[in-house]
Amino acid sequence: MAISILALVGASVPAFAEWKALIADQSVNVAGKLIFATPKAGWNRSSARPSDHGERWTRDGLALNELTFFAAIPDGGTLYHTPYGATQKLPKFRSNMLATEIVELFENSNRILLNSSVFSVGAVEPARLGKHEGVRFAYSYAAQDEGLTRKGEGVAAIVDGKLYLVNFIAPEIHYFDRDIEEIRQLVATLQVRPSQAMRR
Amino acid sequence: MKRLRNSLTLAALAFAAPIAAQPLELRPTNAGYQPKDAVEQGLWLEMDEAEQQMRASKFLIEDPELNAYVKGVLCRAVGTEKCGAARIYLMRTPQFNAAMAPNGMMLVWSGLLLRARNEAELAAVLGHEFVHFEQQHSLKSFHDIKAKSNAMTWLGFVPGGMLAQIGLMGSVFRFNREMEKQADIAALDYLSASGYDPTAPSKIWEQLLGEMEVQAKANKSGVVAQEASDFFSSHPNTRDRMEYLRAAAQRKAPSSDDGAGRYRAAIARWWPRLIDDQVKLNDFAATEFLLDGLARGSWTADLLYARGELYRARGKEGDLAKAEGFYRQSATKDPALAESWRSLGMLLLRQGKSDEGRKMLRRYLDIAPVAGDRPMIEAMAREPQK
Repeated sequence: MAISILALVGASVPAFAEWKALIADQSVNVAGKLIFATPKAGWNRSSARPSDHGERWTRDGLALNELTFFAAIPDGGTLYHTPYGATQKLPKFRSNMLATEIVELFENSNRILLNSSVFSVGAVEPARLGKHEGVRFAYSYAAQDEGLTRKGEGVAAIVDGKLYLVNFIAPEIHYFDRDIEEIRQLVATLQVRPSQAMRR
Repeated sequence: MKRLRNSLTLAALAFAAPIAAQPLELRPTNAGYQPKDAVEQGLWLEMDEAEQQMRASKFLIEDPELNAYVKGVLCRAVGTEKCGAARIYLMRTPQFNAAMAPNGMMLVWSGLLLRARNEAELAAVLGHEFVHFEQQHSLKSFHDIKAKSNAMTWLGFVPGGMLAQIGLMGSVFRFNREMEKQADIAALDYLSASGYDPTAPSKIWEQLLGEMEVQAKANKSGVVAQEASDFFSSHPNTRDRMEYLRAAAQRKAPSSDDGAGRYRAAIARWWPRLIDDQVKLNDFAATEFLLDGLARGSWTADLLYARGELYRARGKEGDLAKAEGFYRQSATKDPALAESWRSLGMLLLRQGKSDEGRKMLRRYLDIAPVAGDRPMIEAMAREPQK
């Protein structure tokens, strides 16, 4: 997703994203201090954000692994910035959405952003985002300008009416399987901090 | 016989098109045709490379039966002695588009398969693209462009990817209106000669025009969406085209063979995915118009389900009640369509009608026991919503 999204939202993110290395095994504030997460070694965070509510990490470069955090998306908000000049509107989050509807929101937003119908959702199951009950969903897709299939896994929960979502993407060859367990661990141990959201 | 048919076709084209008489020479659609000069050779080389990439595309619909069917429709329309020169690539992309490269690569987007209502309409578009190829329109356009700039160098720098390729074909091979009209009229000749309903071309344009207008109105910009405009901008005004095609069809022998039944059967397996791709575009007005045109008063379970999805996704005042009605009608018409029960269940839960909602979700699980979302739906069907 990385390459395409960056290309598409080029007009709304800084021309040059800066990367900052994260310290291994040390908790860090993510996405405007709304999430507290503890990465393993090798992760970097980007100054270019997928939306006002998001933050993006990578280990080996966005083409090889991408970890995105969305925090406190309010009712009526969208997952991503709407691409400049887009004719299709991104679907909006609603506070009363069901778990399966969040998965639909994610799928449809990405189909539009990637301009791709080669996007299929696989397993959808109950999961926890930190201590909050939510949904985990697995998917795979192809972007327009690439000849490879990527796999992704997201975990989402609605906390105090706002959407929190962590999404991991990597090529299905090697990279996804290499890191997915580590990501699940990170997701299970992170802290959602809605009190920060209310203060904003 | 083959020769006779070819010369008859050529005579018909020369008569129909107000373009210079066609010299009798090998065309790209003849066996053994080779590019004639350096420009054409270069163009073929570029297109062969693009075609190579296309073969590896993840967007390619590889279903051999569906590919054979679409090729068969082209062959019936333009004749089996010629159709072999074209290689069709079906691409999973929900917008309406088709494009033809000078080396014989024809790209057909799945949005065309969704919008065509019968075989004759599909044949009309395939035939149109084929005439561009046969009449070497792209080569002629390219010579014009090359005179203005060093297009060949530019061509070499266009990055890969299907959209880029289509864009490239759309901008480099921008056919002029005379070429488009020639392709329309010659395709109609093909269609009629092969026994198809000659009114099919004007009908598909009528449908597309309607969709474009609805979409433009909904966008409030008065500007037709980019995907459509790439295809249409070079083409004759869609209304003109619809009208001259309608008039020309009246001069043809009438035929009621539109192959609607064959068409439905051939795309049946892909149908739910094609509709799903369209619904997920979040393009309410155009999709509503399209579904209505596909139903033509006779709403099938698939179409009712899709309409329910459309209204549920928009979720404006009154939409959920409408969606509920569509799902219920869909489930009545085809109780085995699992998705209707799933969506109905979700809708009811969302509206607080929890008991019935959970019942519908269990019904979904009964019909689709190995669904990927089973664990989540099971949990939703079990516990009261908080």
